[in-house]
Amino acid sequence: MSGVSFNEAILELPMVTLTIDGKKIEAPANTHVLQVALKNGIEIPHLCYHPELSVSGGCRLCIVEVEGYSQPVPSCGLACTDGLVITTQGERLYELRKNVLDLFISDHPLDCVICEKAGACLLQEYAYEYGIKETTYTPTISSTLYQDDNPFFIRDHQYCILCGRCVRMCDEIVGVHAIDFAKRGFETNIATPYDGPMIESTCVFCGNCVQVCPTAALMPVSRKDKGREWELDHKTTICGYCGVGCQLEYALKGDEILYAQASPDGPVNGELLCTKGRYGWDFVLSPERLTRPLIRRDLAYELGLTSEPWEQPDTSPLADRQPKIEDYFIPVDWEMALDLVASRLAATVNEHDPDSVVGLASARCTNEENYLFQKFIRAGIGTNNVDHCARL
Amino acid sequence: MKTSSGSPTNKKQVKSEGHPSGDDRFKALDRTMKRFNFEKDSLLEVLHDTQEIFGFLSDDLLIYISTHLRVPLSQVYGVATFYHFFTFEPLGKHNCIICRGTACHVKGSDVITQALSEEFAVPIGKTTEDGLFSLTTARCIGSCGLAPVAVLNGAVHGKQTPQSMITLVKDVLEQETEVLEQGEAG
Amino acid sequence: MTLEKLERMAQRERQRQEKFERRIFCCISTACLSAGAGQTINALQEAVDACHCKENDVEVVQTGCMGLCSRGPLVRVEDKSAETLIYADVDVDLSQQIISKHVPMRKLTDESIPEEMQELRENLKKARRRKRLEKHILGMDSPFFAKQEKIVLRNVGHLDPEKIEDYLAHGGYSALRHVLQNMTAEEVCDEILRSGLRGRGGGGYPTGLKWKSMHQEESETKFVVVNGDEGDPGAYMDRTMMEDNPHQVLEGMIIAAYAVGASYGYFYIRGEYPIAVDRIRRAIRTAHRNGILGKNVLGTDFNFDAAVRIGAGAFVCGEETALIHSVEGKRGMPRMRPPYPSTSGLWGKPTIVNNVETMANVPPIINRGADWYANIGTEQSKGTKVFALAGQLTNTGLIEVPMGISLREIVYDIGDDVPGDAEFKAAQTGGPSGGCIPHEHLDTPVDYENLSKLGSIMGSGGLVIIDSTTSMPEFARFFMDFCVDESCGKCVPCRVGTIQIRILLDKIIAGSGEPEDLNKLEDLCHIVKDTSLCGLGQSAPNPVLSTLKFFLDEYIALIPAQEPA
Repeated sequence: MSGVSFNEAILELPMVTLTIDGKKIEAPANTHVLQVALKNGIEIPHLCYHPELSVSGGCRLCIVEVEGYSQPVPSCGLACTDGLVITTQGERLYELRKNVLDLFISDHPLDCVICEKAGACLLQEYAYEYGIKETTYTPTISSTLYQDDNPFFIRDHQYCILCGRCVRMCDEIVGVHAIDFAKRGFETNIATPYDGPMIESTCVFCGNCVQVCPTAALMPVSRKDKGREWELDHKTTICGYCGVGCQLEYALKGDEILYAQASPDGPVNGELLCTKGRYGWDFVLSPERLTRPLIRRDLAYELGLTSEPWEQPDTSPLADRQPKIEDYFIPVDWEMALDLVASRLAATVNEHDPDSVVGLASARCTNEENYLFQKFIRAGIGTNNVDHCARL
Repeated sequence: MKTSSGSPTNKKQVKSEGHPSGDDRFKALDRTMKRFNFEKDSLLEVLHDTQEIFGFLSDDLLIYISTHLRVPLSQVYGVATFYHFFTFEPLGKHNCIICRGTACHVKGSDVITQALSEEFAVPIGKTTEDGLFSLTTARCIGSCGLAPVAVLNGAVHGKQTPQSMITLVKDVLEQETEVLEQGEAG
Repeated sequence: MTLEKLERMAQRERQRQEKFERRIFCCISTACLSAGAGQTINALQEAVDACHCKENDVEVVQTGCMGLCSRGPLVRVEDKSAETLIYADVDVDLSQQIISKHVPMRKLTDESIPEEMQELRENLKKARRRKRLEKHILGMDSPFFAKQEKIVLRNVGHLDPEKIEDYLAHGGYSALRHVLQNMTAEEVCDEILRSGLRGRGGGGYPTGLKWKSMHQEESETKFVVVNGDEGDPGAYMDRTMMEDNPHQVLEGMIIAAYAVGASYGYFYIRGEYPIAVDRIRRAIRTAHRNGILGKNVLGTDFNFDAAVRIGAGAFVCGEETALIHSVEGKRGMPRMRPPYPSTSGLWGKPTIVNNVETMANVPPIINRGADWYANIGTEQSKGTKVFALAGQLTNTGLIEVPMGISLREIVYDIGDDVPGDAEFKAAQTGGPSGGCIPHEHLDTPVDYENLSKLGSIMGSGGLVIIDSTTSMPEFARFFMDFCVDESCGKCVPCRVGTIQIRILLDKIIAGSGEPEDLNKLEDLCHIVKDTSLCGLGQSAPNPVLSTLKFFLDEYIALIPAQEPA
């Protein structure tokens, strides 16, 4: 999104003029320098800053020089004021940032060659930019906890840089606060209560923490061992579940979906998704997915489509085998299925009256399909008994 | 409104809002939280009082506090682990704190800590297996004029040496065994 | 109404005290207590009882710190007809001697004396003949006392901290009364600004400016927080102040609240100081009862109330934004400034955070005027500073000296040199955020600017003397250990940088360092200093940097000589 945001337009904040790298820029007063710089295409490295979240100021990478200040200042928390003169690049800044990155890398295994996040990892990107091959300090990993305790995401603490994006996301936007910082100093980690399994916390598995994680500390289970970032195609689409219409992006390897994420420029949802949109796509390539019309076995016998009479299968848990879909239905072609439905509906309307028919549409269909459906029930059948499942 | 057929004693229990376990210490904890009006901001104060009442912070206590103050459990855990004053394991019956402040350090407090740890076979910050003696350290207890300083069962002892501390602790532990023996004899 | 009542209370207490021929003060602050002051004060009281004096002849008073903590328990005898004397190292035996010397024993017929007292009376009579006493007298003209100037600690050790009457009798709450009756809030800010008082917590920001900017904030709700989270190991000034004269701190706080327009305040006190917590709570309660706190303070339309919040062992909570988070019941992690707490502090409302000692300076300034205060000290640093003098010195304890005094005077006159054969090596100020000052800089005047020029800081007032037996790299590592433990973990330079500094120090101290490790160490220290988020990280490398600067030879000596190729 570009231009003036909703908040800025509503609040009509007074505008101030500041200079960033010699470029005069107008910005609403009290917005932050980093935000304004990024909007104007000026790149400043940052790890803990995220446009959707409150400012933390812990990564110290977005430091800039401010005229009149002896020390560099983090631009993420620096408010725009009139006449502010900012320099975002320079030898001193380069050295300081490089050294801060060096410290980051000393507490982060350099597993890039086997890491699935490689190519989308922010730390890797900055390390490349600042030419850091390995740490000049003694590599010391603060936490090696590996938590693979739920079907959705893996928490691998050795890659965690404690930027706190996930904590702020869970607290400020999702409002669940399932995780928080625990302990302190070098031992700090992001934890559920007592480092327990995610499932025992208040987590709703929306996965928005995974979305904002800049490294491989939070990764979808579904992409484990399935390929690196650059092997994947990204296809943007609209979520098929509810009516909000969130924009999302499937990461594909061939035909296989490896994971879904929100695309940052989605006008409705930004970087947010719910658990259905983010994780509810495994039906796409499911072998159990319906590909042909099915009709009930008892009906098929009546119609002479099969010679086997139908018997209610044994559904008790003690049965020798659990009934499958073939025990209830047989596949037919579309012609036959449509003919059957049409003749049966017509017969019902004729024998009884139109009000004996109810139409229930699906939220998975498009607006247009749903419109047609209610038109068919109202005008075709002649009843107002039409509804919609409304949610999924 | 009469709805339940519970006995009068049951009703009484409900009224006092005690913990289902029947542990009376929860009443004291309830009083603390009530004093602060169950406000979220009082978390630190409540944790302090809880530790005072129960001796340490167990996981069910944190859950209890979290529900009553309506603070997310992860936050309660985060706060409790941030501050080193809180302990998650019960302390020994007798507790010795060695000050590690600058003044005490300069005057050799770590030698005392080491000596006690070796003499009573207890790692620093831990409790002996019989639960009788804990050896912990503190950042500074503010008695720098008397460095090196140790606190044994709440009493401050200044200008200590490894030997004098060992004697002090031995005395305390010997009294304990005497009491035990007397108890067995009686 | 309230004013008259307070005046009457003060008057009554003064009259009561004046009636006594002699008053015997026994220090019961923590240091003296651990040296056995509990037994001493009991012994004093029993002995006095045994003397069966006339009414109003003698009173034993429990009081606060008299300064020379290394010689505790301390007992001071104030006699109307004799010179005031302080006795050091007073045990039970010595306290009987003191009583037998100073208190006349009333002659009684044997029958009227209870049996259990007979023996004690005999002992007292015998005690008079012993001559041990002289050695324990501390001359008031000895440099330890003579070189000090007491403003903040003036009444500490002279009154019973648990009695508001005693504080009132010493002129307590007169500054508050004066402020409420005769001064506008702006005038109070101006007065404090003119006095040149600077924050005593370590930063040294002019208190008046802080108050003024807060005063100008427009907000219905404002807060005052007194920072009593004295986390600096080796310092206990604030503890003494809160334990031994809680009302003076409270009075300063109420004046601050009036000046900035706050209606509620918090004392944030270290959890390790249960007595301080207790005394401040008690002070708040009694102040409440007497109309000094609550609605309509002293009968005016100014409302103010205060509560205590207890810290839980986190040094970083001395940083004001972290402290504010902690008062709110959260993890004490600092946040970026601006916005400063005076704009957005507790629950987003304007808040000032002042150190205990800063607050304790306020009543004397109001009472005696900004000009008087500004006359003490140096050009940039006014007034006095309380130091906790500790480490390898003959005299250790709590001292208050005018700003600008030289370290030499503190070490050699007040501290009376390093005991034994060892020699003075360095003075460490500012705790883990400060640095070590070597012998050649001993003549530096002690004030904010000069200390920071030497790579140290004034800090909150810890002053630890190190003698030649201490290795400086190891001493630096001790502080680094502290910073590693106390780092909150929010920003990388402090969280990871301090660990890496310690790894380098470990390597050097273990004797496996290489020459370039020293450069690496220094560079890393500068990175941590330049890029950390809060004061803790920014000052954490100071002990290493200052020892590298002044004691480089000790580091070099630890590095094995390079074998020629």
